[in-house]
Amino acid sequence: MKSQPISPEESEPNSTGALIRLVADLLENGDYGQRVLEVDAENVRVLELNGALSATVPMAEIHNARNEPVVGGGRLEITTKTGEKLALISYTHTIAARFSEAARGIEQLSKGEELLISLKPQRTHCEKCKRLLPEIDGVCPACVDRGKTLWRIAQFMVPYKVWAFTLAGLAFLTTTLNLLPPIIQGKLIDEVMQKHKDVDLLYQMVGGWVIIAICASFVSITRDRIVARLAGHIAADLRSTVYRAIEFLQLTYFDKKQVGAITSRVTTDTDRVWNFLVEGIPYFLLNGLMLLGVSAFLFWTNWFLALCILAPIPIIIGIAIRFWRPMAQMFYKVGQKWARFYIHLNESLNGIRVVKAFANEDSEFAKFTKRNVELREAGVSADARWFTIFGGMIFLSSLGTIICWLVGGAMVVRRELTLGEFYRIHAYLALVYGPIQWFAAINNWFSRAMAGADRIFEVIDMEKESYRHDDGQKVDIVGEVTFENVRFGYDKSNPVLKDINFTAKPGEMIGLVGKSGAGKSTTINLIARFYEPDSGSIKIDGIDYREMELQSLRRQIGIVLQEPFLFNGTIAENIAYGKPGADMLEIIEAARAANAHNFIMMKPDGYDQMVGERGAKLSGGERQRVSIARAILHDPRILILDEATSSVDVETEKQIQEAIGRLVAGRTTFAIAHRLSTLRNADRLVVLERGKIVEVGTHEELMEKKGVFHGLVKTQSEIQEIIGFDLAQAEAVAKG
Amino acid sequence: MTTPTPTNIKLFHQPRDVMRMTVNDEYSFVQVEPRWAAPLSHTKSFLGLMNSKGEEVFLLPSLDELGPENREVIDLELSRRYLTSTVHKILSAKVEFGATYWTVVTERGERDFVVQSLQENAQWMGERHLLLVDIDANRFEIPDLDLLDPKSRHFIDSIL
Repeated sequence: MKSQPISPEESEPNSTGALIRLVADLLENGDYGQRVLEVDAENVRVLELNGALSATVPMAEIHNARNEPVVGGGRLEITTKTGEKLALISYTHTIAARFSEAARGIEQLSKGEELLISLKPQRTHCEKCKRLLPEIDGVCPACVDRGKTLWRIAQFMVPYKVWAFTLAGLAFLTTTLNLLPPIIQGKLIDEVMQKHKDVDLLYQMVGGWVIIAICASFVSITRDRIVARLAGHIAADLRSTVYRAIEFLQLTYFDKKQVGAITSRVTTDTDRVWNFLVEGIPYFLLNGLMLLGVSAFLFWTNWFLALCILAPIPIIIGIAIRFWRPMAQMFYKVGQKWARFYIHLNESLNGIRVVKAFANEDSEFAKFTKRNVELREAGVSADARWFTIFGGMIFLSSLGTIICWLVGGAMVVRRELTLGEFYRIHAYLALVYGPIQWFAAINNWFSRAMAGADRIFEVIDMEKESYRHDDGQKVDIVGEVTFENVRFGYDKSNPVLKDINFTAKPGEMIGLVGKSGAGKSTTINLIARFYEPDSGSIKIDGIDYREMELQSLRRQIGIVLQEPFLFNGTIAENIAYGKPGADMLEIIEAARAANAHNFIMMKPDGYDQMVGERGAKLSGGERQRVSIARAILHDPRILILDEATSSVDVETEKQIQEAIGRLVAGRTTFAIAHRLSTLRNADRLVVLERGKIVEVGTHEELMEKKGVFHGLVKTQSEIQEIIGFDLAQAEAVAKG
Repeated sequence: MTTPTPTNIKLFHQPRDVMRMTVNDEYSFVQVEPRWAAPLSHTKSFLGLMNSKGEEVFLLPSLDELGPENREVIDLELSRRYLTSTVHKILSAKVEFGATYWTVVTERGERDFVVQSLQENAQWMGERHLLLVDIDANRFEIPDLDLLDPKSRHFIDSIL
């Protein structure tokens, strides 16, 4: 049976009274096919598509339910109160998030709670053409309303409408002026050389020709200057609009996309759109008008000859349309090979030290050669095909000229056509056959521009962070932070944090402890509201932070990251990033408090020293202290420290710890510590394990408890060095 | 304590859907899960059996070393854990609007899917070994392009 991702109508709740009804896309044996999960207040059932019951689990026997992520999908696992684990139903990634939500629903029902889940139907297929959508709930590129998209991108020309209309007028003028010289040339042959043999008339006509040529050049130069101006402005406007939209996108968007893919929306996609607007449309307009004008002139001169010499045109257009798609695909393939080639080249050059250290030059060259040969073959194949098709089109174009001489020449001999008329027709041929070869590309040009525009509008229309939420409250934070039943997962099918409950008092320093992947970074991401809880709430001073204005909230939260990011600029600019408009004295005071002042003063340019891209010209410890100075100047009420002292030497760590000590004073602080070193001054520790809080207490309390934290301390070989006393001493301290 | 070997271990489900491993009838790991060490490059060898803490308790060098009863149990577990589909035939593949639309026949049946940005989502695991990851992160593996029929190969050659 052919399988496709489940369409929405298949997963809608039915009328059988089931509270949850989902269709899975894998059979029990792993084949593609459909099975149904039905949940009501009494039972969880799995049904085959023919209605046969495969499994039933009474709700009263369920201890918990979860989506177990597996490679390429997931499965719904239920643990019964007797400890039995049941792998109930498997499914692909396409619908895993929905089954995760269903698992949450099953847990709620099994605990006798109200069913509070969201199972919004997913749109995986275009409702119109049934084609698979490139993104769930996205737009169908085949059915997108191109007129509407065109109208939207045309709005970018509105501020420049005078230029745009001038451009259209000049295009019309160019066409007219290009049609005139062949008429003059025809007249010169017929009237001057053959009929009147009048040199004065020759001078007059050539004079007129010169004036037309000057006018045509003037119009052409003006047109191109307007194109350049229009192109520059529209390209800049498009880039600004897209960049501004990207800035306010939710972080989940950045998690799913690579930076390169996002960058291409600002560069490649905007390029495609303005290129079409500013060059494509005028090209089409100019050559379309030319074709119409020339055809009209040809038919006016001699309809029979016009018909004969234009006969190859439908064949040329037919060939172009027939071969354009496979050609485009071949060039796409060449693009893929180029990308593969670049990746290898970049990697091997960036890692040249490693290549040399392992004496792997030969194997790297062998890989390079393979990529190079692949690229060569793809390029040769595409170019060979292209030149064959292009050659055929050139031949057909030349047929027009041959037909012109064959039929037209005979007509001149039979005096059915004057030599001047023949010359004029011959001159017009080039004007027709030149652009005609490219007309087939217009559709592709148009499609690419529309696809680029759709991607741009997708970003522009995407749900943004409620950065300047009109209803949001502007509050001066005191600093109490409360997690209430918080649950969150980057992938909704796989929650990273579950049932998180705790309160940090104003000014308190909370240490977040746990193994890698326990949920520490996710917790601080939620505090900074880079993400919002899937369920439950985070309250600041008793107010759900989703009700606060995001800009106002973030201005009162400071972050010092493990790998601090500095912008390419001076040290002073980077420190002042925490408080735009800060004066030099404030910057210096912040740097002093961060133990950064002395090393900055030792730099040749002091605070004007450029830090390089991502701060690469500074050492790790220096970058860290600049970022602490930035946070000090920012003066936040809530501070987040993400393992600020990793990868630095002991002396630098001491300086950073001093700086941090000054920074945290009086602020509610959340500190992540893999090495436990930043916990020296923590008031309380929150220990996370697999997304849940397992212990909360002071260092002494947790050591005495001999639970998870005790285990972490015990296994940490660096404990003596980092905390300054060994386990035995710690236990002694705990016992008082 | 006897060290586990392919011949002295016994795998079975107890309770249902939980795989258990006993070693030489001496001791038992109450819950073990199979994890391939290199599922794409070594498809039948180096299978780790992990306990509930995520620690490896035994690394099986090759599936072929297991007896038929153990093999049946492990095959069932593997089929539940690894849902990557192996492509046997490509019925259609075309580039449209910046995405590639595929219709393939796999060991699980026929499937349509879309791959965005081939540069990132068509991963070459070897010279002729390809992994396609669709927009939902479903995985479709072509272990050896040369084993595909000429028409299927042509689809790949025309795009990648």
